[in-house]
Amino acid sequence: MKIGYKSAWLLLLIAVAVAFAFIFIPVYLVQPFAPQTERALAISYFLKTWSPIVTPLLAVGVIGLVVVAWKNSKRWYSKVPLVLPIFLSFVFAWFAQQNHFEWMFNPLTSSDFAKASEVDYVKDDEMVLAVKINGDAVAYPVSLMAYHHIAQDVVGGTPITATY
Amino acid sequence: MVWQSVVNGQNLKFRLAGINNQNFIMRDEETGSWWQQISGQAIQGPLKGSELVSVETDELTFGTWKRENPNGRVLRPDAKISIENYDPNWEPQVAKMRVTTTAQLDTTLEPRTIVVGVTVDGKSKAYPFTAIEKQAPILDTVGTTPIVVVLAEDGKSVRAFSRMVDGRKLEFLKKPDTNEIVDAETASVWDFTGRAVSGELAGKQLTKITVLKDYWFDWKTYNPETQLYSLGSR
Repeated sequence: MKIGYKSAWLLLLIAVAVAFAFIFIPVYLVQPFAPQTERALAISYFLKTWSPIVTPLLAVGVIGLVVVAWKNSKRWYSKVPLVLPIFLSFVFAWFAQQNHFEWMFNPLTSSDFAKASEVDYVKDDEMVLAVKINGDAVAYPVSLMAYHHIAQDVVGGTPITATY
Repeated sequence: MVWQSVVNGQNLKFRLAGINNQNFIMRDEETGSWWQQISGQAIQGPLKGSELVSVETDELTFGTWKRENPNGRVLRPDAKISIENYDPNWEPQVAKMRVTTTAQLDTTLEPRTIVVGVTVDGKSKAYPFTAIEKQAPILDTVGTTPIVVVLAEDGKSVRAFSRMVDGRKLEFLKKPDTNEIVDAETASVWDFTGRAVSGELAGKQLTKITVLKDYWFDWKTYNPETQLYSLGSR
């Protein structure tokens, strides 16, 4: 089967639209100031799980189609717009590998602790999230937790996940 | 909330992954499942239906915690993160943010009212923080368990305990001009850790009930059957 210039463009548009849907739908459904339904979460989970694989495959397909369309176009100005689907499909493939929620709230990269008596970065009237297991008492300052949201630790031998 | 990280013998690494009605979702890197922060339940993915085991936790002022745990350790700020991100005054800003929820909110409380939530015997109840400020110690019964909600001297830290000691139900009242509470049965004095420090019951320890400080709408979203303590009920 031979793919002509126009058919290649049609397939390019479909590929870019599918990649866009894989990226945009979960971002739209799982946005902070909108209510989420069970179904919206299930759809988002499916798309988020598959987008890191699907979008790079679509980007490869886009390159193939662009090569075809390039060969089948006779004029230079019908070649130029072919840059756009390549660009978009690469942006979507890149975004699929990102965790955009962590752009705003960076994960905790360190796990350093200070002795209670030596702490100068928390005031006495600031809140802490406290855990005590087998005599191992740990405080996670709320000012840190409200930013990172997650801190993982081993307290008194038990691996724990503190969340806020 | 604090959770044990191990599920089915596997130690899970959690990352922030999304938001569900203004409560965040974490994703574990081992199975890719999504977990709800407030409930510890896996809501999507291979582990869907699993529940994390909760770890007893307190939300206290640093001063009160330090007094109780002078040898404890405190998480340090991440050196790679700009210090401005650790804004101790984030609360008034968040308080102004919009509220979206699928919960049926009643009109008795503003959605962003701070409440202290407890779950005992599968029954949930929320205590507006202002009620605790005015009335602590609050004596109540949740499910079939008589409980007491107490406020520390710092005016911010809240704890709850079962009022059953050796099969006996205790009634507590505030000792005038102090922050300690006394029980009406033996006049023993109890401190904020739930330990009797003097009197007939000296040395006895009340059983702690984990409390969660939360916004009313968030608590109601994830505890739809919750009761609400009303200020006028005493």
